[in-house]
Amino acid sequence: MSFKTWKDRMFAKLFTRFPVFVSRWAKSQNFVVNLKTPWTPLSKDPKECRIALVTTAGVHLRSQTPFDMEDKEGDPTFRVIPSQTPPEDLTITHNYYDHLDADQDINVVLPLQSLDELEAEGLVGGTAPRHFSFMGHIAGRQIETLVNQTGPEVARMLKEEGADAVFLTPA
Amino acid sequence: MGLIQRAIEAEGIPTISISLNRTITEKVKPPRALLVDFPLGHPMGNPFEKQLQRQILMEALKHLIKITEPGTIVDLTGAFRIEGEKCMLCTVEVG
Repeated sequence: MSFKTWKDRMFAKLFTRFPVFVSRWAKSQNFVVNLKTPWTPLSKDPKECRIALVTTAGVHLRSQTPFDMEDKEGDPTFRVIPSQTPPEDLTITHNYYDHLDADQDINVVLPLQSLDELEAEGLVGGTAPRHFSFMGHIAGRQIETLVNQTGPEVARMLKEEGADAVFLTPA
Repeated sequence: MGLIQRAIEAEGIPTISISLNRTITEKVKPPRALLVDFPLGHPMGNPFEKQLQRQILMEALKHLIKITEPGTIVDLTGAFRIEGEKCMLCTVEVG
């Protein structure tokens, strides 16, 4: 393990155990500030909607290339998670939060099981064939890549697969 | 995450997200968010709390329709109770 990895994990643990650090960090960071937001009203009952999940918790298939943890500005790429993926085929690469709990139960960051249940009970119209996962620690030049390239690319892929609504979970 | 959410909404798909921190969410301003008071890395709560995970997802689906003001953050902090050893979401309908 490199020092950077060790340090990132240590901070991740601190942030998880002491939320005050998260607030302090959040106030110190130059987050993108938006005054307006895009808006698309939901046009049908959720019981008829095909739902897709998007997470920024660094989830990926064990067979996929892990997210890049060396670039200080983060990895703006994404991984496609087929909706029927068994939990044991999933893993997490993300050194900026403590994912011991999510490692035990991936549904802590990506509620695949709950969504399947709601679909089986007819409370949602269906599950989209693909969900999408990012690694949420994005800064500097990588923000531009996310906003101009990979974010819109995933949006188009969600449109193509007929997702009617998307539920997003951070880390 | 809010930036990705905004890109999806701009493509014409309604979105709702979990927020773990109001300061960040207010700055990035996604279309719809549910604020929970869980630690980082736990947007759906503790591991193996199936009922809670399901409640949060249901709550999100409900607010996909209910929220009419772009940029709304629904505050669910304080809406969670420990029953036995399980955490449960107890929302009170207002209005």
